Amino acid sequence: MFTKTKIAVIATIGLAQFSAVAQAETVLNVATAGSQNMVDYVKTYLAPKFEAMHPDVKIKVVGTGPGDAGSHKIFEKLSAQKDSNQENWDIDVAVVHQKVGGEMVNEGLLANYRNDISTGALVTRDSAKNALGTNVEGYVMPMFHSQTAIAYNSAFVKNPPKSYDELVTWTQKHPKAFGYNGIKNGMSGVSFVTGWIYAYGSDANTLSSQSYDSQKKNEWNQAFTDLKAFNQNVTFTPGNAGTLDMLNRGEIFMGPVWVDMFYSWKDQGKIPPTMKLALIGPGMPGQPMYYVTPSKAAHPQLAREFITLATSPEVQAEGIVKRFNWYPGIDADNVKSKLDKASWEKLFAEITPSDLAKYGKSFPIAEYFDDIKEGYERKVSN
Amino acid sequence: MGVKTSHYYWLVAPAALMVAIFFLYPLAFSLYSAVSAESGQFTLAHLEKIFELYSTDILFTLIIVLSSVVILAVLSISIAALITLSPFRSVVTLLGFLYRLPLFIPFIVTAQMMRTFLAKNGLMNNAFIASGLMTPMDTVSFLGWSGIIITFVWKQLAFTTLLISGAMAALDESQIRAARNLGASRVRILINIILPQVAPTIGVSLVLSTVTMMSVLSVPLMIGTGTPTMISADMAFRVNSYGDYSVANALGLVSYVLCAGLAWFYLRQSLEDKGVRS
Repeated sequence: MFTKTKIAVIATIGLAQFSAVAQAETVLNVATAGSQNMVDYVKTYLAPKFEAMHPDVKIKVVGTGPGDAGSHKIFEKLSAQKDSNQENWDIDVAVVHQKVGGEMVNEGLLANYRNDISTGALVTRDSAKNALGTNVEGYVMPMFHSQTAIAYNSAFVKNPPKSYDELVTWTQKHPKAFGYNGIKNGMSGVSFVTGWIYAYGSDANTLSSQSYDSQKKNEWNQAFTDLKAFNQNVTFTPGNAGTLDMLNRGEIFMGPVWVDMFYSWKDQGKIPPTMKLALIGPGMPGQPMYYVTPSKAAHPQLAREFITLATSPEVQAEGIVKRFNWYPGIDADNVKSKLDKASWEKLFAEITPSDLAKYGKSFPIAEYFDDIKEGYERKVSN
Repeated sequence: MGVKTSHYYWLVAPAALMVAIFFLYPLAFSLYSAVSAESGQFTLAHLEKIFELYSTDILFTLIIVLSSVVILAVLSISIAALITLSPFRSVVTLLGFLYRLPLFIPFIVTAQMMRTFLAKNGLMNNAFIASGLMTPMDTVSFLGWSGIIITFVWKQLAFTTLLISGAMAALDESQIRAARNLGASRVRILINIILPQVAPTIGVSLVLSTVTMMSVLSVPLMIGTGTPTMISADMAFRVNSYGDYSVANALGLVSYVLCAGLAWFYLRQSLEDKGVRS
């Protein structure tokens, strides 16, 4: 009996001490969706910077996984905490994808904070106000903008296609030399298919900014039939990284990739320097990642300060553009002055700002997006 | 003595509670979600949808799993038989060490390994080219259905061989000696004496492997290319891409049914072996 009491006492003291240590510093919980490079960015670049400014704050970074699925996990966690009426939610800052960002605003999970922070005025682009049809003005700050494009090996492909039409002709002449990852193995393939529908189904503007019309998908039958025929001449790759892998090993010579991944791999020497990018017409989609803070974050003030730091022109220039090769989240003009000319030109060397403006499209609104994916499952891969 | 039987139930309670909360409840919930609409009414719409969209994938999964199981059975029985019957003890020791290796490698690592090994210009083909057996033009990529089967077999081989060779080692050796004394060849000993006695273990190991293969997501995602793909990849896609748990659960229902069919077959066999008749 005495032993039991002793154990209980010791355990209590131990726990008390442990919690005393834990309370000594404030922990700011940052959850980030996306691939490992995003977790790395927050963990190795942003967090140390913020901790240096706030010595009593410790940042805990959690990566929730790539793709919309990673964002969905954050969404589900916050939604569960909301449903159980918790006072404080255990995520202070989250980095989420565009689609889920819109859903979170609709569910009332996020705080309207953009007017509270000094960098809020530095972003004017449309994707900071409209997330695939949802008005998110005030709730989000773009962390960076990522874009898909066609990567090709310039040692073998002298005249890369400039549009989907030219790409189709190219694949007919060079069967199996173009590769993409379908729609189930990563977003670069989904993006390619979305671009296909923009080209041969309905234009990007209709699908990404107008209200949903459930009849629209019936206009895409021919586009899907053509895509099925196109698929006969291509190689399927196992994922976003899989496409780059196969480009590197020379198994394919062209394929859709994420621009930031492409530049990072090129920097690390994982793909040959002869690899180049082309953004083809009428356009391929890209998307921003958003910084958001939940409406019941435990440390709302610190969360705002964290996002202010993360979206300041200096951090956007040094961290986002120079180190991680992403397009900046805040307006490019505000970043340009903080960057040396070489880094700036490197970012826009292959895809010029005018191409980006012309051919860089948004993803469609959620309903159309689901229609495109399901249409592909039904008519192309079935 | 003196302890009522009802006390034993308390001993079982924690484990039973764990099973109920973490297994039975989610299972029931996912089955419910597979056949009910958002309003809670009974509907077959989700099941119709999966047969419309994923019937090829279901067939593909079955073919992949069944062919993996057949290859697995042949290979693991041969290895286990070699270990039990081979007169060359040093070879047996080496084999005994080698076949266990995959046991300690997770599926995702195996998948990543195979991805660089089996690719068109991967390690395997490059080795063939370097040794002059092939020209770069002849190489083919094994990424796809064949790669999935190779990975499954490679990974599960250790597990099944471990079980089967264990069962073989536990057999009464006097029977093997007796058969040998009467002039039976090794193959005959294997087929007529060993296999009938270890058949239940072979059954268990293959059924367990099937269930494992049905549930692996990393392999079809990393090695499979596009379509058709395995059910597990489709389930992940439904959840991740559409947030659609109902159709994913309906797909889950299909894989329960497939696995349950096997389990039923196996249970019936093993009960009959034990002489239980209904």
